[in-house]
Amino acid sequence: MHHWMFNCGEVTRLVSESLDRKLPLHQRMGIRIHLFMCKFCARYSKQLKLLRGVMRLAAEERIVTDFFEPLPSDAKTRIQGVLGREIEDSHPLKS
Amino acid sequence: MNESKKEKEVQGLDPKLWVDQYGDYLYAFALTRLVDRNAAEDVVQETFVSALHSMKNFRGHSSEKTWLTSILKHKILDHFRKKSREEKHHFETVGGNIRQLFDGKGHWKEGPEKWKTSPKKLFEQKEFLKIFYACLEELSRRVAKAFVLREIDGLSTEEICKVLDISATNCWVMLYRARTLLRQCLEVNWFEESADGVS
Repeated sequence: MHHWMFNCGEVTRLVSESLDRKLPLHQRMGIRIHLFMCKFCARYSKQLKLLRGVMRLAAEERIVTDFFEPLPSDAKTRIQGVLGREIEDSHPLKS
Repeated sequence: MNESKKEKEVQGLDPKLWVDQYGDYLYAFALTRLVDRNAAEDVVQETFVSALHSMKNFRGHSSEKTWLTSILKHKILDHFRKKSREEKHHFETVGGNIRQLFDGKGHWKEGPEKWKTSPKKLFEQKEFLKIFYACLEELSRRVAKAFVLREIDGLSTEEICKVLDISATNCWVMLYRARTLLRQCLEVNWFEESADGVS
């Protein structure tokens, strides 16, 4: 039995899983050997890491506010109204 | 608590300015994670209202913006939790699509193309993010959420399990589906379309 001989379907699953937890040694070895021999899975692995890199950038404020449109003005007005009423309720005007 | 002490504690917070000062940022933050515009507006509103009622908890250790963002993060997780209960019985259809990528022996039918790019380069192209989010919307909602929580917010598998109420194994499978299908979708819609994307 070659436990460490994986096909592409298995390797892609394990490559993905390795981004979420530490795999047992025999699986890590199996992946390595496979990636060395298979250019498609090697690309797959590289591209998943690239996607992770892109997503981590999306967590950065400057980049995100550059990309997305601002809060629509009707939503602003609505939220401002809700907030205004809540403020009045929590601090009723007293003479 | 008397009024003057209360005033003192919430010094520096001005709820009347919140929407103008932080509305756009919080909306973008929410949109990055929720994709859905209405849902993003809703959580931003909930955040402001809930912040207003917990102003006395603001200790001034962080900035007003950081404080509001942390409330927003909780609102987004709440939203994910609520929705995932509703969606739980929905059939996940994406599993089949992955199997179609490989033949009976588990080899690629059509292997991945080479991508010549970097995260920074990709992010500079607004068109890429548009396509990326369109691809994300193609995934089942729960799979997309698992991906967002893991890759944008860097939550651990355990934390994602709690939010989405799934097992760890299920979580790894969902993330595998998300990554593989997103990769596929991007290759077809972005890398094969853009001239310098593929070698």
